[in-house]
Amino acid sequence: MKQKNKIFLILCAAVLFTATGCKKILEEQPRASIDPSYFKTPEGIQGGIAGIYSSFRGHWGTQIFTQLFSAGTDESLKGAAADVQHWFTYNNPLIKSTTNDYAGFWNGLFIDINTANGVLEYGANANMPAATKTQILAQAKFLRAFCYFYLVTTFGEVPLHTTFNTDPSTADSRAPLADVYAQIITDLTEAAADLPNTPAAGTGKPAYKATALYLLAKTYLWRAWSSAALPTDFTSAYTTARSVIDNKATYGLNLMPYFGDTFKEGNEYGPEVLMVIDHTKDLKFGQNSAPGSFASGPAENKSNFFWRPNYPTVNANYPSGGGASVCVRDIRNGRPFQRIRPNTKYIIDVAFANRATDSRFDGTFQTVFLSNSTQMAAVGSPGATTPRGQLINAVDTAIWFADRVVTPAERAAFKGIIFEPDHLPGATVKYTASYFPNLRKFNDSTRADLNDYSDRPFILFRFSDLYLIAAEAAFKGGATMQDAADMINVLRTRAALKLNQSPAEYAAAVIAQQITPAQITLDFLLDERSRELFAEDCRWWDLSRTKTLVARVQLHNSEGAAGVQPYNMLRPIPQQQIDLVTEGPAFPQNPGY
Amino acid sequence: MKKTANITKRLLQLLVLFQLLLTAGQALAQNLTIKGRVLKDDGQPAQSASVLLKGTNTGTTTNQNGEFTLSAPSNGTLIISTVDFITQEVAVNGSATMSVTLVSATRSLGEVVVVGYGTQRKRDVTGSTITVKGETLNQIKAPNLFNQLQGRAAGVDIVNNSSQIGAGGEIRIRGNRSITGNNNPLIVVDGMAFGGSVNDINPENIATVDILKDASATAIFGSRGSNGVIIITTKHGRTGKPVTTYNGYVGISSAIDTWEQFNGQEYAKYKEDARQGQPAFLTNPNVTSPYALTAIEQTNLAAGVNTNWQDLLLTTGIRTGHDLNVAGGNDRTQYFFGFGYFRETGIIPDQALDRYTLNVNIDHKMTERIRIGFTSFNTMIYQKRLGTSAYGTAMRIGPLYKPYNDDGTLNFQPTIQQGVDNTTINPLTSIGNNDIIKANSRRYQFQHNFFAEVKILKDLKFKSTFGFGWSQTFNSNYTGPNNVFNSNANTAGANLSQSNAEGWQYTINNSLDYNRTFAGKHKVQVLALQEVQKNKFQSQQFNGQGVPADYIQDYNFQLVNTVTPQASGYSESGLIGYMGRVTYSFDDKYLLTTTVRTDGSSVLAKGNQWVTYPAVSLGWNMEKERFMEGLKFVNSLKLRAGLGISSNAGIGPYTTLGSLSSGFYNYGQGSTPLVNYVNGYTINTLPNPNLTWEKTRGFNIGLDFAVLNSRLSGSIEYYDTKTTDILLSKSLPRSNGANSILDNVGVTASKGIELTLSSVNIKSKSSGGFTWRTDFTGFFNREKIVSLQQGLQQDLGNGWFVGHPITTIYDVRKIGIWQTSEATQAAVYGAAPGDIKLEDVDKNNSIGASDRQIIGDFQPDFVAGMTQHFEYKNFDMNIVMFGRFGQTVVATYLSADGGANGYPFFLNSRVNIHKVDYWTPTNPTNAFPQPDASRDGLLYTSTLTYQDGSFIKIRTIDLGYNLPNRILEKAKIQGLRVYVSAQNPFILWSPLVKAGLGIDPEGNGTGNAVNSTAGGSPVQTRAITVNMGVPPTRQFIFGINLKF
Repeated sequence: MKQKNKIFLILCAAVLFTATGCKKILEEQPRASIDPSYFKTPEGIQGGIAGIYSSFRGHWGTQIFTQLFSAGTDESLKGAAADVQHWFTYNNPLIKSTTNDYAGFWNGLFIDINTANGVLEYGANANMPAATKTQILAQAKFLRAFCYFYLVTTFGEVPLHTTFNTDPSTADSRAPLADVYAQIITDLTEAAADLPNTPAAGTGKPAYKATALYLLAKTYLWRAWSSAALPTDFTSAYTTARSVIDNKATYGLNLMPYFGDTFKEGNEYGPEVLMVIDHTKDLKFGQNSAPGSFASGPAENKSNFFWRPNYPTVNANYPSGGGASVCVRDIRNGRPFQRIRPNTKYIIDVAFANRATDSRFDGTFQTVFLSNSTQMAAVGSPGATTPRGQLINAVDTAIWFADRVVTPAERAAFKGIIFEPDHLPGATVKYTASYFPNLRKFNDSTRADLNDYSDRPFILFRFSDLYLIAAEAAFKGGATMQDAADMINVLRTRAALKLNQSPAEYAAAVIAQQITPAQITLDFLLDERSRELFAEDCRWWDLSRTKTLVARVQLHNSEGAAGVQPYNMLRPIPQQQIDLVTEGPAFPQNPGY
Repeated sequence: MKKTANITKRLLQLLVLFQLLLTAGQALAQNLTIKGRVLKDDGQPAQSASVLLKGTNTGTTTNQNGEFTLSAPSNGTLIISTVDFITQEVAVNGSATMSVTLVSATRSLGEVVVVGYGTQRKRDVTGSTITVKGETLNQIKAPNLFNQLQGRAAGVDIVNNSSQIGAGGEIRIRGNRSITGNNNPLIVVDGMAFGGSVNDINPENIATVDILKDASATAIFGSRGSNGVIIITTKHGRTGKPVTTYNGYVGISSAIDTWEQFNGQEYAKYKEDARQGQPAFLTNPNVTSPYALTAIEQTNLAAGVNTNWQDLLLTTGIRTGHDLNVAGGNDRTQYFFGFGYFRETGIIPDQALDRYTLNVNIDHKMTERIRIGFTSFNTMIYQKRLGTSAYGTAMRIGPLYKPYNDDGTLNFQPTIQQGVDNTTINPLTSIGNNDIIKANSRRYQFQHNFFAEVKILKDLKFKSTFGFGWSQTFNSNYTGPNNVFNSNANTAGANLSQSNAEGWQYTINNSLDYNRTFAGKHKVQVLALQEVQKNKFQSQQFNGQGVPADYIQDYNFQLVNTVTPQASGYSESGLIGYMGRVTYSFDDKYLLTTTVRTDGSSVLAKGNQWVTYPAVSLGWNMEKERFMEGLKFVNSLKLRAGLGISSNAGIGPYTTLGSLSSGFYNYGQGSTPLVNYVNGYTINTLPNPNLTWEKTRGFNIGLDFAVLNSRLSGSIEYYDTKTTDILLSKSLPRSNGANSILDNVGVTASKGIELTLSSVNIKSKSSGGFTWRTDFTGFFNREKIVSLQQGLQQDLGNGWFVGHPITTIYDVRKIGIWQTSEATQAAVYGAAPGDIKLEDVDKNNSIGASDRQIIGDFQPDFVAGMTQHFEYKNFDMNIVMFGRFGQTVVATYLSADGGANGYPFFLNSRVNIHKVDYWTPTNPTNAFPQPDASRDGLLYTSTLTYQDGSFIKIRTIDLGYNLPNRILEKAKIQGLRVYVSAQNPFILWSPLVKAGLGIDPEGNGTGNAVNSTAGGSPVQTRAITVNMGVPPTRQFIFGINLKF
């Protein structure tokens, strides 16, 4: 080959190679991430709904959320290892500086709202069967209303956006309460019209018609108590709640015969459940960390941890030192986070004072831990030895959180350790911030590892709340006092049923449980809500709605009494939101914070 | 530690004394007859060189052997000169014999600098560049270039970001320009953009490193070079007899120190103090602590048990490197083969990094007009258990538990009685157990470049280069049951994961180069270039749990009980560039370089993809001017100035499109896809098709000088840059429905001064005499945000403040600890004695978001490095020092933010912590607050973490000995040097270490700091964090350099 040719060839090859590559080199196609235009596709629209449901896992059943909203009520005190203590003690100077505690909840709900807006906007024109589209749009409306319901009841006036926003703005302002409530009611009314009477078989309990009506009744009730109230609101709340109760068969709803079964493992999709935040053992769709990895995932349901006493540190000689643990930590007994504890003075003396004919104390609290000297010890194997004898694993009670003061004779005859309510005079071995009755409702014994999260769906709304809503609405003028009593008596009759009860005992209990209209006061209704819904993430909202927060905390909660203020009936706006509004008028904080 | 510091101080004092003695008066003396020999620097005799007695006309010339004889006073000075060599003055100093080696003038003044797509003589360079020789870098026996470059190049700031073996560090050239975009410099190896990581480059193969700093120098590289360019030239073959080189060293590696924690007695007291620190203690002195000493701890305390878990986990590591090179060639073909092996084992048992490198390059002249070449870099890296350590567990476990049972077996669950932590497994189970603990990583990377060059005309060359780089990283992890990393009791709970990442990059460039000198004085060089680059990356990861048997590990995913796919990565991006450069010089005196480059990038949206930017720079070699003739002591003096614009599209691909967050959901317990198992999405980042290039306008002025027979040389530079259209990932108020958007907002500016000095402090008159050279680099950079979006002075949510650096700390300020006498005052703030006392900025008797203020930033006031080089006879010695001054670091372990960013359970007594001086009613300190067992995290502890991170460190001390030629000649060896070296021997000065709050202030992490109780993250990005983990290491090394 001649040298000239060589040169020519090299030149040609080089330039050709470069030129052919050029055309496509500046094109972009993502392949491992999804961009917002995906919402225009049918799968994207369905994905938006699932994305919103999935995001709720980041709140209900998680550590900080549970403490934030269980703290500072008449029902609870801070546990020994509480993280957000200032809300338990109403240390308002500290509350003021930690308003970002709510950033996760606030941010998440607003992202969900815009996602729902995107689904509604693109979904209207999506190419999919009309019936499917109707369902999806109804879900989107329900979810948008759901988010606004929690925002308005937590923070008061909030920004109101009902169109899909893709235009970045750092300006925003709060909409009047009336507008926010009106939007929620519109969305729920429209959602209820289109949602199915029961969820599709095998799909658990996402929102369906009764769920929308339940939230609608509750919204009416909230607005009725608020400064944006319409005169008809209590009536609307009552009739909406009654419409579900009276048609319970249509919606596949009913009260479970025995109260203790409502939260039993496996009953999460039962007839009493209106909506769950779903969880599964599947690591991917349940967004779970691998079993045995200390429950590190932010979307995991850890409600089984927070109300659990530090039982493994109870040693055989307690309250003296020394001796082995009478009950070691294992799968059955769970992970003792001791973040929150029941306010036992209120629980034992007030709300659950009647433990004789009302099964709800036993249905809510676990007062005994069986001996367990090694993890998952075999039944009948020898356990720890206390000064009163050797415990038999899984047979003898190692720890008993008594609901009263025991006699010295009883104590001497009992091999395990007996704790007594710390507020009762004469108590010797007292409940502490570490040792208190455990909450039974979230127990999960089917986990793979003792440190694991719970794979149980989180029960968010229950049918029994509709009776309480109806009763409260009736009591406030939405119906008669007799109606109120009737509603309450349904629940109280159910609560009369206990395990191992003779028919005669049951019959007597039913009679004892009945109340008359004259007995109903607001405090009675709130006590009844405790009995029925203890620790179900609604107490602070109930006290806030009924404007009884200050009075009830002062009356019942020794930790919070000194600090609680009327402005605590709204939670502070996250500082991050205030900081990030950099254009237009500054974003106002709630008064007091 | 103290001892070594003292010795050094003494040593430095001696050196100063020595220098003083030298400048002292010289004794009068009689005439001597001097016999001398003059050699050229290539070892050949310098014939006919002029030898003149200074201040006289007496003189002679050398003979053909380079020898001369001259009578001169014993205190006289001889001036030796010849064409093309630098004139040297040599003091007689009473010696009758002398040997002088002349340095080639073309080598010193005509030294070649790589400037990007070509080379220039150093004297012709007009931009701001810095050159570091391979042998200088390799004085530091470190795994990678970044470790070696610390403190060696002015304006190049490298911060450690991990204490792991082989961690590269974070490098910034002249500070941050971009706020959220990419700030990493471009690495070019042998002319081609390098797609691998810095660890893929074997430092032993580096011949020189040239760093381009200012816009006029980097313009040629376009957008990729906007953060500076590091050009690595590797060793190449050369004409001549083949030379074989072996460089090898072996050394031991150990922790520089261990963290100071509470010992047994102190720990027990700490627990009791934390019990008394509970608010409930005030009303109930018998209140129990949830973290009281367990029965085992009480027994062990009485028995005097005091376990130091850190010592039990640490071991001695090995660092060794072996490089064998062969280079040679004739006038047509030159070749180079290099094989390298590097191994370092951790100071934590079972950690190891092995790197094998093979470099080959061949240059061949096919005809008089055509030259072709091939370069190949191949790197294989195996990592074992890097980053896997039980150190964190060990530091928490407490000194009152025993590591071993009385029968000598491992105490499997030492804290079994400790309620909340009773399942903690002994951290010593992390040692060995290779069958159940596997964390392997294997990386293979190659870069192959081919070029062909055609001489079209005498002065016109066409060159085409194709470079292809490919890398693959495979991670393979298995953690079986029953060890500190996995508390599961059987293989059903074994965890495993595999990930694979693969990337490639090709670059093609075609250039025309015209190079001609007109009329002897007008030198013109024109370069036109076309370039295309494409990058692709993809990665996958699968996790799994449960295998039938430990030996299955991650080898068969079909046998794994549950497999969970993880998020994958994928990106593709392309770049097209056209560039032209003209350099012109007149009489070697006046220099001009102009560059224009146009870039198109795929990461921006259509319509905004292209950008064009110019750069111009001027140089003036002043020593050539007539007015300089009187200033004989000036050997060279050059003034340079440049102005240029560079652009950065340093954002990831697809960011203009916005993104959705993905989640997953199950409707019910079924598993039917789309019915039960559904993928979910929520809005995350909004699309922004208007995103455009970030532009930096930079001005640079520099002065290069050499004076006093070039014994003192250096340069000083000043620069001033301004970056507009900054790419910001802007956090949005979520009430608008999105998390963030990437946007062009704001302006930043930075300016700085850089100083490089080389001084020959003592130069022996004869070869083999004492020589002392000092190299110094010092620089500072001041960056600040000039403006944000319209009129905004501060963006609190994003942590940006006009007038302040990009990395700012914004938090409440600790002013002390509330003392007992201040109880009433403290109560106003919801605090009690023992709590942190904060500055109430708005004086509203409440601490809140409005009390946050700018506490500091992570920009050091000054960074400096100094190398001392000594030679005497066949000995040589180097001492390299590195310092950073006025720098804030975040010591994360001095805080508890309730999350993993701080130190969980700091000051609540649940676990052991760094030993701090905490408050108690009887110890009214203002240092740290009172421990409180009743809460997981004390409040406002983020304010405890901001510490002075200034330091001066000795990076290396090495002592070498060149074996005499007469011994070597017999063995046919050209050269043999043996040396001993201490790497990171000690920290000379550090306020953090002195205060007992840490062992190394340099930082081993970057990223977000702890959250503040007062709202938000006080540091949004790029905090320099000091984390309490495996300690940094020091090495003692023995090595040889052999040439034959």
